[in-house]
Amino acid sequence: MKRTLACLLLLTLCLSGYAQKKFTISGTATDEESGEALIGATIYAKSQQAGTVTNNYGFFSLTLPETDSLPLVITFLGFKPQVKRIRLHENITLNVRLVPGELSLDEVVINATPPNENVERVQMAVVDVPIQKISELPVILGETDILKVVQLLPGVQSGNEGTTGFYVRGGNADQNLVQLDEATVYNPNHLLSLFSTFNSRALNSATLIKGGFPAQYGGRLSSILDITMKEGNNQAFHADGGIGLITSTLTLEGPLKKEKASFIISGRRTYLDLLAKPFLPKGNKSNYHFYDLNAKVNWQLSDKDRLFLSIFRGRDQAEYRASQGINYKILFGNATGTLRWNHTFGPKLFANTSLIYNQYDQDVSAILDNYFSQTITGINDINGKTGFQYFPNPRHAIQFGAEYIHHKFVSGGKSESQKTIDQNINKEKIPTRYFNEFALYLNDEIKISERFSTSLGLRAPGYASNTVSYYRLEPRASVKLSTGKASSVKAAYSVMNQFLHLVPSATGTIPTDVWVPSTERTRPQFSQQYALGYFRNFSDNSVESSLELYYKDMKNQVLFPEGNQLIESFAVDTSLVYGKGWSYGAELFLKKNTGKFTGWLAYTLSWTFQQFDALNFGEKFPFRYDRRHVLSLVGSYAMNPRWTLSSVFVFNTGSAFTLPVGRFPAFYGPSLFEGNYYVYERRNNQRLPAYHRLDISAVRRSQAHLFGKEFQTEWVIGVYNIYSRLNPYFIYLQVDPVTDQPQGKQVSLLPAIPSISFNFKF
Amino acid sequence: MKRTPWIRLLAVLLLMGCEKDIQIDVPADLTSTVCIEGLLYPGESPRIYISKSVPFFDKKVTPQQVFARSATVGITSDAETEVLFADSTFDKFRCRWVPFYHGTTAAEFGKTYTLTVVFEGKTYTASTTIDQKKAVIEDIIYTPEFTDLYGGHDGVNVRFRDASGPGNFYRFQMYRMIDRTVAHAHVLDVIVSDCTGDEEFPITDLGRTIYADTGNDGATLDMLAEVSFEYSQGDSTWVSLQSLDPKSATFYKELDDQLISILNPFVEPVFLKSYIDGGAIGVFGSVVLSDSVLFVYPQDNPL
Repeated sequence: MKRTLACLLLLTLCLSGYAQKKFTISGTATDEESGEALIGATIYAKSQQAGTVTNNYGFFSLTLPETDSLPLVITFLGFKPQVKRIRLHENITLNVRLVPGELSLDEVVINATPPNENVERVQMAVVDVPIQKISELPVILGETDILKVVQLLPGVQSGNEGTTGFYVRGGNADQNLVQLDEATVYNPNHLLSLFSTFNSRALNSATLIKGGFPAQYGGRLSSILDITMKEGNNQAFHADGGIGLITSTLTLEGPLKKEKASFIISGRRTYLDLLAKPFLPKGNKSNYHFYDLNAKVNWQLSDKDRLFLSIFRGRDQAEYRASQGINYKILFGNATGTLRWNHTFGPKLFANTSLIYNQYDQDVSAILDNYFSQTITGINDINGKTGFQYFPNPRHAIQFGAEYIHHKFVSGGKSESQKTIDQNINKEKIPTRYFNEFALYLNDEIKISERFSTSLGLRAPGYASNTVSYYRLEPRASVKLSTGKASSVKAAYSVMNQFLHLVPSATGTIPTDVWVPSTERTRPQFSQQYALGYFRNFSDNSVESSLELYYKDMKNQVLFPEGNQLIESFAVDTSLVYGKGWSYGAELFLKKNTGKFTGWLAYTLSWTFQQFDALNFGEKFPFRYDRRHVLSLVGSYAMNPRWTLSSVFVFNTGSAFTLPVGRFPAFYGPSLFEGNYYVYERRNNQRLPAYHRLDISAVRRSQAHLFGKEFQTEWVIGVYNIYSRLNPYFIYLQVDPVTDQPQGKQVSLLPAIPSISFNFKF
Repeated sequence: MKRTPWIRLLAVLLLMGCEKDIQIDVPADLTSTVCIEGLLYPGESPRIYISKSVPFFDKKVTPQQVFARSATVGITSDAETEVLFADSTFDKFRCRWVPFYHGTTAAEFGKTYTLTVVFEGKTYTASTTIDQKKAVIEDIIYTPEFTDLYGGHDGVNVRFRDASGPGNFYRFQMYRMIDRTVAHAHVLDVIVSDCTGDEEFPITDLGRTIYADTGNDGATLDMLAEVSFEYSQGDSTWVSLQSLDPKSATFYKELDDQLISILNPFVEPVFLKSYIDGGAIGVFGSVVLSDSVLFVYPQDNPL
């Protein structure tokens, strides 16, 4: 009887709680000066111990019990916090404008400051890429680059020396979905991957997700890099430019209609071809250049509707002709266009609908050691998607939506004894293939108690071509348990499928990788990932730390078979071999966000293996980028408002490559079989020397007034690889034709390289 | 303006990069791999080539230097075992001795042979049955130009009839007399032997491509054959076809794939598998030769 009474009492308490009237505060958070949406700003009601963050469009929705006085704290890194005191007796629209500035919080605000988002959010394995830090960090030839910063994050490995390719938790480069304003960018690099295609001046935010993927994300196994372009200043016209050693950039932005519509256009072009021309040896010819162009227009149609149109185009063209050594001709480029419509149905329901077009083409031909190789890939996508965010009450944040992609696809390649780099595959012969991807998803982030939250989701992707179709279910789950005011334990499980494959070449020193879609033979890539993490902040959240453990297994991985030689092949997948991979490791992240000294330490200890029945005698072998230790140290010290000093130190275990361990002669001389043959112990049995370098830079800022306008200038002086460590770009073997003696040769690309660049903004 | 030359220098640095010779350490505790090659021909006494691989960067890699001298080699058939003895022949083209293990008993068609090699405490065994069907050459046509995965060539087109029944594998064999003025297709063979003087000596050329009769059982097939040596109009050569056992066909296909992967930097490396019990690389197999046909080159080598 006592138990029944207790239950009734509890029920009454619960009902009374739910019977209390609740209202919703919704709106946007923007930059006071530019009108840009602030993505990931925190809105927190300390008295209710409840909060939320703005979405990719700066929108938020928070439902709370009726009250006469509710202090709301709105914070965003790099902006002065604001406290709004509101009477909550009806649904309220609250559009907040934050002013850029130091985090000099007064006592009231400090007391109200919520625990940092990294501890509080349910999701783990998420890193907000510090866009605002990009311009301060030392980089090659002064070219600021978001992907170079991504490579410095825990769980992320770079590819070869100086490149922007990245590998996340043992996944291949194709397993990263790189999106710019929701449009897929298939190759986010310029030639040699020294620079990414993203002009950092045109970017607003970037988030890297490595695991525990919410259901709205899919299509790749290892990571999502979600990049959002700036919208353009809707208050005043501004120009922002930079003159570097090999490129120049100019960004223009301003209002089309003040506070209602704005534009931004940003372009970059290299002049490396012009600079190098007089110095090339006689008979050698190179015309390498690239450019990229970003543009975006946004229009506030009404209080509830907003329209965005963004376009991006990046293109590389390179040709190098020499009488000896490698000759190559490379053409590739990406183009994307995104039309988005944001609609707020009410204070609790936000919708985003997008129509996206993207195009990628690559045509690479090369001659090396009297052999010719060419690969061609062309992808055209039309993508439509709609997503909803529904906030029924403070305990639920529901996302659901649908997505459809129509792919038009061509790919082929060949490799044979020498012809000329102009004697190409007859592109008209390459058959065009069409196929479709689609997905439905539902995800609910549930706050079960003050300490315990979870995110549960289900994604149902599908794939259909005229010969085969695949349907999959991808459960996603994350849980968070707060273990203190500034600490939490999180766990996550996610299943991912990927219907496109990039077949990496094990031997190529130039980009000869080929994209292939799923077919009956080439089944979709599949992964399961388990992750566990401990998150803790120190010193009033000014220092963040986390330790994450993960295990990921990957199925239906593809590689070229031993001895593969593409003979003008347009059905590349008929010559592939299939296997599996698995990766496990630990990632430590320490980050200091505020104060004169900021920066982070990222250390990853990991193991990654693959196993293919048709390779390496069927035994497991290390993944090419199985690097045991990856350490990044990044620091910036603001000496005063004018000078900032920065430094980056990187250490990686050398990547793996295959080296024969022995030789023996064939006795059938003198026939075509004559020669020395190689004995291989196992694939990827050797390691390149460890990679390490130290970069430094100094930024000097100044302000002046010209014609009544504020004019900001910035000189960035830096040295990349200051102690000129000759890190290996690749190693190859050369056999002396007279002595028959093999010799290892190491090619290093980037010695110490000083740089200087000048940036301006008015 | 003063900065311009420095900027240009940097641009060139990026383009040119830097290359250096490096020392790569092959694991010191690595054991050598034993390599065994032996093909039995009906009517001929057996020759078995046995060597021990050397570390990859070792300079000692000639047949004499790697020969497994202390091996005990026996071939057993019908419960009778013949112990082979070490022997060698002089390769006049290369100007060097080539050692091998030699028997005296001619192999016979229809019989099964088992090779046993004991070397450095390990035993290696393999068997082969000589039961391949003989191919019949129907015609030989000169081909001034053709293209295959090795590139563009001149050569001969051997037209032959596949013996009935599946699982037949073929490659060509050409026997010629040449002198030292005749160049070899491999680039390194610009180094001409001084051992031969002006006299002619015999060479046996073997085809790299293995032809299988899969899907063409009993059909007339064309085998386009690239040849190893230069020729002139009027030069003659005896052409025959080897019918290989499946294991040998697989091994020589792999050997050829590896050769391509060594020469072509765009080809994935090929691991040679073991077809001999005990873990040795190589093969012990058999060949049945077709009747040979005399072919006279109708023109000079065009390439």
